[in-house]
Amino acid sequence: MTANRSLTRRALIATAASAPLAAPAIAQNALKGTKLTILAGNWYVPACNTMLDELAAEVGKDTGMEIRIERFADAELATKTASIIGTGRGADLAVADEFTTFLYASKLNDVTDVADEAGKNYGGWQQAGKDACVVGGRWKSLCIGQAPAAWVYRTDQFKAAGIDKFPDTFADLLKGAKALHAKGTPIGMTLGHAGGDGRSTNYPVLWAFGGKEFDKDGKVTLNSPETLQAIEWYKEIYQYFVPGTTAWLDPDNNQAFLSGKCSATVNVNTIYLSTRTAAATDAAKKEMLGNMDHGLWPRGPAGRFANYNINVWLPFASSANPAGQKHFLRAWYSRAFLPKWTKTGQSYFIPTFAGFDKEDVWPEDPKLKIFRELNKINRLPGYSGPPTPAAAEAVAKFVMVDMFAKACTGQLTPKAAMDWASKEYDQIAKKRRA
Amino acid sequence: MSATVTPVPTRRRGLVWLIDNERSLGYLLVAPVVILMLGLVAYPFCVAVGYALTDRTLADPGVFVGLDNFIDLFDNQIYLQTLRNTVIFTAGSVAMRLVFGVGLALLLNEHFRFRRLIRSAVLLPWIVPTVLGTMAWLWMFNPNFSVLNWMLVHAGLMKDGFNWLTNPDLALFCVTLVNAWRGTPFMAITVLAGLQAIPQDLYDASAIDGANKLQRFRFVTLPLVMPVLLTALVLSIIWTFSDFGIVYGLTKGGPMNATQVLATLSFQQGLAAGNIGEGAAISLTMLPVLLILIIWQLRRIRRSTVA
Repeated sequence: MTANRSLTRRALIATAASAPLAAPAIAQNALKGTKLTILAGNWYVPACNTMLDELAAEVGKDTGMEIRIERFADAELATKTASIIGTGRGADLAVADEFTTFLYASKLNDVTDVADEAGKNYGGWQQAGKDACVVGGRWKSLCIGQAPAAWVYRTDQFKAAGIDKFPDTFADLLKGAKALHAKGTPIGMTLGHAGGDGRSTNYPVLWAFGGKEFDKDGKVTLNSPETLQAIEWYKEIYQYFVPGTTAWLDPDNNQAFLSGKCSATVNVNTIYLSTRTAAATDAAKKEMLGNMDHGLWPRGPAGRFANYNINVWLPFASSANPAGQKHFLRAWYSRAFLPKWTKTGQSYFIPTFAGFDKEDVWPEDPKLKIFRELNKINRLPGYSGPPTPAAAEAVAKFVMVDMFAKACTGQLTPKAAMDWASKEYDQIAKKRRA
Repeated sequence: MSATVTPVPTRRRGLVWLIDNERSLGYLLVAPVVILMLGLVAYPFCVAVGYALTDRTLADPGVFVGLDNFIDLFDNQIYLQTLRNTVIFTAGSVAMRLVFGVGLALLLNEHFRFRRLIRSAVLLPWIVPTVLGTMAWLWMFNPNFSVLNWMLVHAGLMKDGFNWLTNPDLALFCVTLVNAWRGTPFMAITVLAGLQAIPQDLYDASAIDGANKLQRFRFVTLPLVMPVLLTALVLSIIWTFSDFGIVYGLTKGGPMNATQVLATLSFQQGLAAGNIGEGAAISLTMLPVLLILIIWQLRRIRRSTVA
C-alpha cells in the first residue's frame, strides 16, 4: 500500500506540466505567500487521509502557498462548514457531502473550468458526479468520489441456510432472510438515524419497487402503490432481522456483523477491510474473512438501484484565495495523484469518471471487485427528480428511514406510514418552493 | 507667600467628576457587564428572532415571512412529537434529579468515613464532559453489546435483555435517565450546601419537643432548604429543556423521532438541512417556558434579597 501511495514532488510537477490539468503558469508565482485552509474529516481508510496531507505538503512546497488542513469528526465538519457559509470566514476549501452543493450554491465559487479539464482527462464525468456538483449549469463543487455500499455477507452462514449465492431479487432476499433467521443467523438493515447507512440502506428499496420521492419536475410522488409495495416488503423482512436495527447508528451494523450477530448487512467496504487487517493477527477474523463476500443490491420490479454517500470539494466563495483553491483542486485531479489515491482506498471512494473503468485503480482482491459495478447504479436522494434542497432536507430529517421503521415496528400501518411520510415531503417541498 | 495652583487638565477633570459622582460611577462600573450582556446575549437573541421571522437558509438571506415558520411548526407531526418528548424528557429528568439529588444530599450530610472523598466522587457525572459520559452510556445501551443486557442475561434474569434504544418508550426513558444521572450531582451538592447552613440547634430543639426523624425533615429541613432547592430545580428545568448533547450522542433523535427534543430538532433543521429560519423558530419555541421560569426565579431572588 505504501508503494502505491508514494507521491513525489517530481512526479506531481511532471504530470501537472504535461496533463490537461496543468496549473496555469500564473499560479506558481502568484500563489507564493498566500494561505489555503482546507477542512476535512477522517476517511475510514487512514492511508487516504495521509495522501491528502502529502498532497497539501507537495503543493505547498511547489507553490510557496501555506496550506493547512484542519480535521474534524463528520458531524463537527458539517457544522463547521455551515458556520463558514453563514459567516463567510474560516476556510477556503472543505470536504463535504453532496447535498451541501445545493444548500450552499450561492456561496460557492464556480469551478466549471477545473471540472471540464478533469472530465476531459478521465473520459468524462458520470451522471452521479454531475448530479452532485452542478447547479444551474455550473459546477459549484467537484466530486471526490462515491463510497459504494454493497451487501456484505457470510458465505458459510448463507450456505448453511441453503443459499448458494447472494439473492438476486427482493423476493429471494426475503426468502433467504427467513431461512437465515430460522438457522439463528439473521440479517440486518439499518433503520435508525444513521447519517450514512440510513440512506444507503433504505432509498434503494424504495426505488427498486418503483417508488419515488419526486418526479422529474420535482413534484412529490411518494404516495403511490409502488411505495406501499416497498414498505410491505420491508415490514415482512423486518421480522427476520437481528433485534435492534431501529436503533442502529452508523457503527452498529459494522459491530453486529463483526461480532457474528448478523450474517449480512449493507455497508461500504470498511467491514471487509477491517476484517482483512485484523485477520493478520487474529485467527477468528482470518476464518471470518474466508467466509465473507459482497453481493449486489437485488433487482426489484423497477430495477437495481443503490444510494451512496458522495464526497465533494466545496470551494467557498468567501475565500481570499480562489486561485489557490483551483490550483489545489487541479493537483487533486492530476494523473499523478487521483488514480493512486483511488487505488489506495480499495474502492472505498470511487471518483465518478467514466474513464476510470479503464484505469489501474481497482483493487486486486477478488472480493472487492463488485464495487466497480456498484459505481454505475448510484442514484441521489430526490431521484427521479433532480437533487434539490428539499431532497436534502428529507434526508436530514430521516423521513425515508422513519417511514420504513414506523411500518416495520407496527407503530403505523404501511399505508399510514406512507401517508405520514408523504405529508412530511409535501410540507418540505411547499416550504422550499415558497 | 503665594500658593501656586496647578490647573487640572479638562479631560482629567472629566474623569475625576465621573468617579466622584456616585451616579455616574455606578453606570461606569456596570458598563462592562452591560456591554457583555448586549454582545453575548441580547445581540444573538435578536438575530435569532430576526431569522425566525424569515425563510432564511444558510446560503440565502431569505425574505420576511412573519409568523409563518411558527404556524407551520404547529402543523408538523415531527415538531409536535418533539414538543411532547421535550416535556416528558424535562419532567422525567427533573423528577429523578429531585428524588436522587435530595436523597444523596441527605446521605452526604451524615458523618461517615471517607465522607470528603465520596462527596468529591459524587460530582464525577457532572464534571465529566457530556460527550464522554454519553459514550459510556451508549455502550451500556448498545443494541449489539449492551453490558446491562449481558449482566441481566448472565444473572439468569432475562433471556435476551432489553431493547434499550430500539423501543421508542424505552429509548426516551434511557435519554432521560442519562440526563438525570448527569444532573443529579448538581442537585445533591446544592441541597447539601443548604442542609449544612441549617443550625444544629433547631434539630436539637425539635428533638426535645419529641419530633421523630420524618417530622424533623418535614418541619425543619424542608422549609429551610426550600429556597436552595427551588433555585436548583429551576436551573435544572432550564438546562434540561435545552439539552442537546445527550440525545444527540445517544440516539440522534431516533428511533422514529422517539427521542427527538427541541434542541436536536433545531440543530437538524437549522444546520443539517440549512433551513436556519425554521431552526431558529424551533429553538425560540422554548422561550416562553424558559422566560416564565427565569422571571419567576429573578423575582424570587429579588424578594429574598429585599427581605
